[in-house]
Amino acid sequence: MKKFESKKRYVLPGDFITTAPLRLQDNVVLEGKRIISTTIGLSDISDDSVRVLSLTGIYLPKTDDLVIGTIKSVSGNSWFADINSCYQGMLLGQDVFGRGSYPTMDEMKARLNRGDIIYARIANSDRQREPLISIADKDLGKIDSGELIKISPTKIPRLIGKRGSMIQTIEGSTNATITVGQNGMIVVSCDETNGLLKALLAIRMVDEQAHLVDLTDKVKKMLESNGV
Amino acid sequence: MTGISVIDKLKRSKILDLLQEGKRIDGRLLDEPRPLVIDTGVIPHANGSARARLGDTEIVAGVKVQLDRPFPDMGDKGIFMCTAEILPLAHPSAETGPPQPDVIELARVVDRGIRESGMIDLSQFVLEKDKSVIGLFADSVVTDHDGNLFDTCSYAAVSAIITSKIPKWEMKDDAPVLVEGQESDTPITTIPVSVTMGRIGEFIIVDPNLDEWECLDARITITTTSDGNIVAVQKGGSDGFSLEQLVNCSELSITIGKKIREIIKQATAGSQ
Amino acid sequence: MGGRDTDVVLLDENGIRSDGRKVNETRKVTIKAGVLKNADGSAYIEFGGNKILAGVFGPRDVHPKHLSNADTGILRVRYHMEPFSVGERKKPAPSRREIEISKVIKEALEPAVMLEGFPRTVVDVFLEVLQADGGTRCAALDAASVALADAGIPMKDMVCACASGKAGDALILDVNNEEDQAGQADMPIGYMPNLGKITLLQLDGVLTPDEFKECIELGLEGCKQVYEIQKNALREKYFSSGDNN
Repeated sequence: MKKFESKKRYVLPGDFITTAPLRLQDNVVLEGKRIISTTIGLSDISDDSVRVLSLTGIYLPKTDDLVIGTIKSVSGNSWFADINSCYQGMLLGQDVFGRGSYPTMDEMKARLNRGDIIYARIANSDRQREPLISIADKDLGKIDSGELIKISPTKIPRLIGKRGSMIQTIEGSTNATITVGQNGMIVVSCDETNGLLKALLAIRMVDEQAHLVDLTDKVKKMLESNGV
Repeated sequence: MTGISVIDKLKRSKILDLLQEGKRIDGRLLDEPRPLVIDTGVIPHANGSARARLGDTEIVAGVKVQLDRPFPDMGDKGIFMCTAEILPLAHPSAETGPPQPDVIELARVVDRGIRESGMIDLSQFVLEKDKSVIGLFADSVVTDHDGNLFDTCSYAAVSAIITSKIPKWEMKDDAPVLVEGQESDTPITTIPVSVTMGRIGEFIIVDPNLDEWECLDARITITTTSDGNIVAVQKGGSDGFSLEQLVNCSELSITIGKKIREIIKQATAGSQ
Repeated sequence: MGGRDTDVVLLDENGIRSDGRKVNETRKVTIKAGVLKNADGSAYIEFGGNKILAGVFGPRDVHPKHLSNADTGILRVRYHMEPFSVGERKKPAPSRREIEISKVIKEALEPAVMLEGFPRTVVDVFLEVLQADGGTRCAALDAASVALADAGIPMKDMVCACASGKAGDALILDVNNEEDQAGQADMPIGYMPNLGKITLLQLDGVLTPDEFKECIELGLEGCKQVYEIQKNALREKYFSSGDNN
């Protein structure tokens, strides 16, 4: 067990973590000399900083996160996408058509229209305005097919698993392709209906039972069984 | 519930694809309702109460029994009324404020199903004809919305009514006086059961969940009684049904209604 | 519609109250976190005969837009009683009492929640009283805190609440419905236990300055007891059979 893991502690909002003069990261606040947790989670103290890994809460955009969004509107030179947060993601026309371009509304709609699903990167998140998203990189862009579902963003690491183990187990067993957004949005596509329904059920199980130690076994067992 | 999004065409076509294969997104068969759990007596201070869970939809119904004046043209009957409210915590789109048409429809459909079945013998609620009667109010609140509020609300209200205790009043010098400790059971003549079905394309599905509800072309709620009669019907949605589909729905409402009636009976057993 | 029973003995010669409690004893409290599927956070509390459901949505978009604040998220609280929650059936429309209680609870939670990081959003707290039995605003506030934590709304502290008061000439903890109607004082208190701040305080009745101080101290004891129950509710949902990954 690594040295730092022994310092992880379950904390609740208002719980005291430490008085050491550390750099404050996620979900902690300084009250006088005391650093306290602002959420339910695991406190994590390192040499120079302290944070709490939250076990709950909606998705808050962070720069470089990969997210799945649904285009909600086109206006002026940008699209606005629902990224399962309290803020919509803003995708500039320039990101798609190139710097200095001035696409018409028709050109914009022809590329991406209301209801289209995209895999995007958070390019810039500052809470003063809607976060900027980008689909310029390879592997990003419109997702043509598949079932879109949502789970708690805090369960995404569990869904992916250590080095991708959980997601690979599900994909392998069902022949589904699963695209995972860090914002809790997931697209599952599968040629076979049974595989699709099983993959969806496996994802639901992770969402509802992520805290259980034997989750991996339970999911494997379900995937191996015949019916859904 | 106003504020529900415009019909998601993508979602609808996906649901239809699955239906072609005889499947629904949650693994159910087309004529399969979700699991139903009913708990009674959840609000002990009320005269009667029940919480119904149909899948993830949850509704709590409470019954209050009070003295009242009869309706002018029905002096020989007690008062019965159902109300319903979708609580804002039931769904992100649920709004506060005066009830919207869909909630009013919900309350009236549930009310109609119970009233038209003659479930409660209102003639036994008269203390003095034309002047003083007993009023029974069944108020339902939706605490979690995952579609098909009509059936869930009906099951909760019916269960609450069956398990209600009616206080006893006696007329003394022209005024009703409460007689402590002499409560009786609600005078029940039948158990009405509502079954709601939706049509997507040519497929009829029973007990649509919220995802399916948003994609329905039309829906129908049919209430049947213990003796197999149909007593209340409500068609909703922007499209219609063929005669054949309606006959199919009526048959489904009777067979499924029977099974649901057994669940209600079990949940309310021992109270009467 | 009989008259109120003014002969109720609120405190007998052994210092036992009408429901069998001692003066510094609260009623039984149970709390469950995460009871609703759709709400972002939720909690259900039974505090004596009070049964209250709390649901939280947010941070989320504000409607109507004119309520939104460019610098910070805002908190909205709606305390509402169901028609079947009280002795005489209550009409569904919000009463002035419910509106005032909504405001008071909001102002008890505002010092705890940290919404500056979410400009132009709202956190909605919905409190539904399914059964009322004296002290609903405290019980509702207790449930609200748990629901907010369940929703992951950043908070400097939890808020716990309990009422104290006076009946039969003695200071009592956790006033029930009878004591509220026929007693001498009822004082609901909301408290942030880690920061030591009182964020809800109202008084109905007559207390001397000394009684006032003592009554608050007594109430804070009750608040702290409820705080433990709030914490356990959250621990049960999040920290049990846990994999410390």
